[in-house]
Amino acid sequence: MSTKKLRTVSVMAALALCAIVPASASAAKVISISGSTSVFPLETKLAQAWHKTKKGKKFSFRILQGGSNVGISDVSKGRVSIGASSRDPVPGSDPGGLVFTKIARDAICMITNTANPVGNLTSAQIKGMFVGPTITSWDGIGPIGGTIDPIGRATTSGTHDAFKNIFLGGSNQGAFVAGKASNGLVQQGVKSDPHAIGYVSYAFTSGVHAVQYNGVDCNLRNAKSGAYGGVRSFYFVTQGAPVGPVKKFIGFAVSKKGQKIASTEWVPLH
Amino acid sequence: MTLASRIGLRKAGPRNKKNRADQRAERLLGALACVVLALIAGMIIFVFQKAWPSFSHNGFDWFSPWAGGNVDDELNAIFHSSASNPVLTMHAWPLIWATAVITISAVIIATGMALLSAMFIVEFAPTGIRRLLEPVVRLLAAVPSVIYGLIGILVLVPWVDKTFVTDSAKQSVAGVISLNGSSIGVGILVLTVMITPIMIAIVVDALRSVPATWRDGAVALGVNRFRALWTVGVRAARPAIVAAGILATARALGEAIMLSMVTGSVAFAPNPIDGSIFFLEPARPLAATIIDNSEGLSVPPFAQTLYAFAAVLLVSAAFLSFAGWYVRRVLRRYTLSPI
Repeated sequence: MSTKKLRTVSVMAALALCAIVPASASAAKVISISGSTSVFPLETKLAQAWHKTKKGKKFSFRILQGGSNVGISDVSKGRVSIGASSRDPVPGSDPGGLVFTKIARDAICMITNTANPVGNLTSAQIKGMFVGPTITSWDGIGPIGGTIDPIGRATTSGTHDAFKNIFLGGSNQGAFVAGKASNGLVQQGVKSDPHAIGYVSYAFTSGVHAVQYNGVDCNLRNAKSGAYGGVRSFYFVTQGAPVGPVKKFIGFAVSKKGQKIASTEWVPLH
Repeated sequence: MTLASRIGLRKAGPRNKKNRADQRAERLLGALACVVLALIAGMIIFVFQKAWPSFSHNGFDWFSPWAGGNVDDELNAIFHSSASNPVLTMHAWPLIWATAVITISAVIIATGMALLSAMFIVEFAPTGIRRLLEPVVRLLAAVPSVIYGLIGILVLVPWVDKTFVTDSAKQSVAGVISLNGSSIGVGILVLTVMITPIMIAIVVDALRSVPATWRDGAVALGVNRFRALWTVGVRAARPAIVAAGILATARALGEAIMLSMVTGSVAFAPNPIDGSIFFLEPARPLAATIIDNSEGLSVPPFAQTLYAFAAVLLVSAAFLSFAGWYVRRVLRRYTLSPI
């Protein structure tokens, strides 16, 4: 590289640096969100819809994923304006001063292989399979016999947390349960193993059999009506009560229009 | 104007030591090398500083096979502990054991296969096949691991489940682990396929660079081609074979995504006493555990535990490369290797 070229490159690099600084200085107009991978599709849809309205046009979004706990930690440290969480607040363990605003709900389905379309599972049966375990065989429960292969999520996932609180009554899932890293891997595991049972968000039930929970089908209609018990909440988390553009955006999310978007794949609040 | 000055050559020597272009290049390259060194040092210090609370809290139990406890229960307790009263208990033996079993088995199988394939490519393959084989090997070496993971989880895991897992075997371990195809066996198999091409590529280059006269000499003494290659070529290329092994081991040690997908995501230490089902048992190596649980990095004691896993991998890699350097040095003394 000749001297001249070197000089040009360095000038250009300096210019680029100058250009970046004012861009970040005007960050007041950017709403940043990080957190749950389960909430991500919903928050993206909400942001797109709000951006089309008169009020929302002025603001742009920066949306990152990372998991519920990442979102909660980010917002408590002021790194983002909103943290997205698919788990309930944990008093005492969460950083202080956080406000959880419920924006939608989501059904968690128990799934089995299509070759093993189990009719119904009670909370006691699910607890027997995932804690202990006291139930290790499909005999008398499913159409096919044989040993049960339970598949779950890793400790750190929001879905694991919701499953533990709703289906297991607060008990920890046993260490013999496979701890997969995502909804999709649980779905794939159940798809390829006739003896498997797993739990996933409603959006991941294609290609597998969704089992009735306490006698109620796992579908959006039952989740909306409140008949289905395995429902968890999605939250937008803010440091203190939301203000300014963040308040307006969260207001839009829980408004009639926002909830209509939520009702396409999730369970609206009302 | 002389030719030398026209093409930019200048007379070397003390009078010309102020060649500015050279000096600039020297400083730039030197600075880059220093940056790399500083980065590595910084990384090691950072990881150990983060990991220290986990090691110091558990002491030798962190590594001990007899410490007991269950890694997943421990991870759960660490994750849900409060900041004021952090839990740090971690007995990571099942993860270390899984990493060791999978890595060592894959490297042993891959070394044998790579050595034989490289000998075939260098000495015995007809030109047409060789022209096809070499680019294919290099392509295989460059395939991203997530693709191997996908093939593993979509094809191999269900196939192993259907073919090898019997109902009686499943029942014998019910409630402890589930045998459903996701296993260390599939992990070893896919890992072997992943690391063999790199080893073949390196060993082929090494065998080629053995002077032809050495082998010709052996052949002239009446030895057949295979024996000549084995006793002279492979012998001379031993340092390169060790280097290939080290490189492959390093890749195998750090493999996370593929192993997280196919090995079953249970922190279980497969037991060789279980006999035939040993390779069908699930496990979860260190790197895969970091990937599966990276969501918990925001919880300080949990992050310290994950950094401790990373520190063990880092030390193993450093130890490996030191051992490799030493073995190569020893071998070179006896082989007069040109490599």
